[in-house]
Amino acid sequence: MKRLQILIGKIIVKMLHLMKRNAGNLPGIVLWHISRHKAVSMFKVDCPIIAVTGTNGKTSVTNCIAQLFERSGKKIITNREGNNLDTGICSLLLRHCDMKGRVKADYLILETDESHVPVVYSQLKLDTLIVLDFFRDQLDRNGEMETLIQKINGFCKTFKGNLLLNGDDPNTARLGRANPDNKNIKYFHAEPYAYATNTVFEASEGRFCPFCGETLTYDYYQYSHIGKFHCPKCRFGNYEPYITASRIDLDKPVFTADGHTYSPKLNSIYNVYNMTAVAGAAKLYNIRQDIVDSVISSYTVKNGRMESFMLGDRKTTLNLAKNPVGANMTLRVMNEMKGEKELLFVLNDNVADGLDVSWIWDINFSIFERVTRVVTSGTRAYDIAVRIKCSGYDQANIFVRPDLDKAVEELAKTPGRKFVIANYTAVQPTRAALKRYISRNGGKTE
Amino acid sequence: MSTIKILHMYADMLDLYGDSGNMEVFSYRCKMRGIECIVDKYSIDSPMPDFSAYDLIYIGGGADLEQQHISADLLKCREGIAKAYKAGTFLFLICGGYQLMGKYYRDADGNDIPGLGLFDYYTVAPNSRRKRCIGNIVIKTNITGTPVEVVGFENHGGQTQGVKTPFGKVLYGNGNCSKSEAEGYCEKNVIATYLHGPCLSKNPEITDYMIGYCLSRSSGENITLKQLDDKLEKDCRSVMLQRLLKK
Repeated sequence: MKRLQILIGKIIVKMLHLMKRNAGNLPGIVLWHISRHKAVSMFKVDCPIIAVTGTNGKTSVTNCIAQLFERSGKKIITNREGNNLDTGICSLLLRHCDMKGRVKADYLILETDESHVPVVYSQLKLDTLIVLDFFRDQLDRNGEMETLIQKINGFCKTFKGNLLLNGDDPNTARLGRANPDNKNIKYFHAEPYAYATNTVFEASEGRFCPFCGETLTYDYYQYSHIGKFHCPKCRFGNYEPYITASRIDLDKPVFTADGHTYSPKLNSIYNVYNMTAVAGAAKLYNIRQDIVDSVISSYTVKNGRMESFMLGDRKTTLNLAKNPVGANMTLRVMNEMKGEKELLFVLNDNVADGLDVSWIWDINFSIFERVTRVVTSGTRAYDIAVRIKCSGYDQANIFVRPDLDKAVEELAKTPGRKFVIANYTAVQPTRAALKRYISRNGGKTE
Repeated sequence: MSTIKILHMYADMLDLYGDSGNMEVFSYRCKMRGIECIVDKYSIDSPMPDFSAYDLIYIGGGADLEQQHISADLLKCREGIAKAYKAGTFLFLICGGYQLMGKYYRDADGNDIPGLGLFDYYTVAPNSRRKRCIGNIVIKTNITGTPVEVVGFENHGGQTQGVKTPFGKVLYGNGNCSKSEAEGYCEKNVIATYLHGPCLSKNPEITDYMIGYCLSRSSGENITLKQLDDKLEKDCRSVMLQRLLKK
């Protein structure tokens, strides 16, 4: 029976390839149905599995860890395209297994959706789980964030492998208390950077101790609710970090971890946290220092994550923002930049975005500095326009252009520096529209 | 200059789906008319306020855990809130705030969280956490005197029953219960609703109704508000109405 199911799965993968279609999810969905929802347990995996989960940063951290092992000469299997649900992971393993379902590799490095961690790793033995952060994201798919954390916490109660947690996120760090018998709990941490604040700057969750309900005390906030916290009552948050990022200077950018200085390509506090998690994973698996260096210093992202374009002679930066934290980060980068600039915000409400767009009200637009014009686009172009207007921005300078090509034209009309923020399903159409503009009017892509 | 005083309760705990944005919209529409709008915050550690000193009391929605956290504290405020409400203070309540003003909220495990009992309705959460009313919603309300189509986003497990005077009639979405006809609860000085979005963002008539109510009550005259340029808000709403109501 099992062999037959794998055979069917493999045939589907083959057919999709012959049809030149992406076999990201469909084979897994079929297998999931014919195996009565136990698809992942079809596979026999003997090598260590490393899983990366969290709201933001999964793809970056997974890719970097995959490179650590690749450059160490190991054979790895990883879901680079980000198919991170159980069906996506299932499709990935189908492509790499033999007819008995055996998966041959030295390491599996799997980006895993937050809500799928328990279902996947109750069926596959996990060596290391890395949890980056929990933010409000696509709430209507996952139910409330607390339910999500409870789900992963339930998994952690019996998990004995390495648990590498963001020690500066109370939502994440609390998982460290799920299983008192687990001796392999490790926290990564970062010292304050230049823009860390004493009071919370953006809408945030997790202000209260999940164990005793006391208000958490923060020494500093890096962004949103990420920062050095502790509970004055039950001491939640008082832990010895496994790895710490210090001497963070985003102008260069450089940071130090475990006495070693890294020069990453990306200059955000986000990236420092992600790369600290990567350095933590490297420490766990004794990766050679020169390899860690080369991975961290060369890592850069495309696909609309701080991607540069020239619209004619107008320098333009596109950034994906799936949630308020991502958007607030871009606004900060924008504000910290001198001179006048203009913003295009593209907001969609397709199923993958979460149908609800109210998260835009958790973005702090009142900090706008020297933003001379705003263009809005996407299926919810008006919602984002109203939101920016109500933050006190003069509506005479807001231009709503639901059609993306018209929006890009509107943005490029005037000289000066441009920023583009697009949410999940908006990012690829926005890139395409920027490229269309460039092919018609000149300029260049990164 | 006229002034409106608002007490925003549990802003730090009850703030789902942009609920705090309602205060931003409210303040914005006051500011554009030269009306001073003072928003005080009350939360669990705060000293007991004089509720009757406020023109409007606002409570947003939260996750189950947060609602449990605040329910005991809210009960301590019962007398003050009831007195203010009877004297005419406006109550604007979203989701959890709406539920907790009723008789009780029975959670998925069958435990009752007592409400303030200001109103007769009560709320029961379904046994399964998966059964939630989630999605865009359109209702038609007559609270302002002329029918207004109000667009928002609902996400609630609780099914609210025993409402005699709903806020509006459901044109699209669920309302008080799964696939129900009525949404929310209202009186002349109460709007209680499941609508997030935030609720006021594309429904300027509702904000203006509350502003008008507060000013008329404090001045003793029937105040007519200065019209604002609401083109963006109205276009925003009509895009959604087109999409959701077209046959």
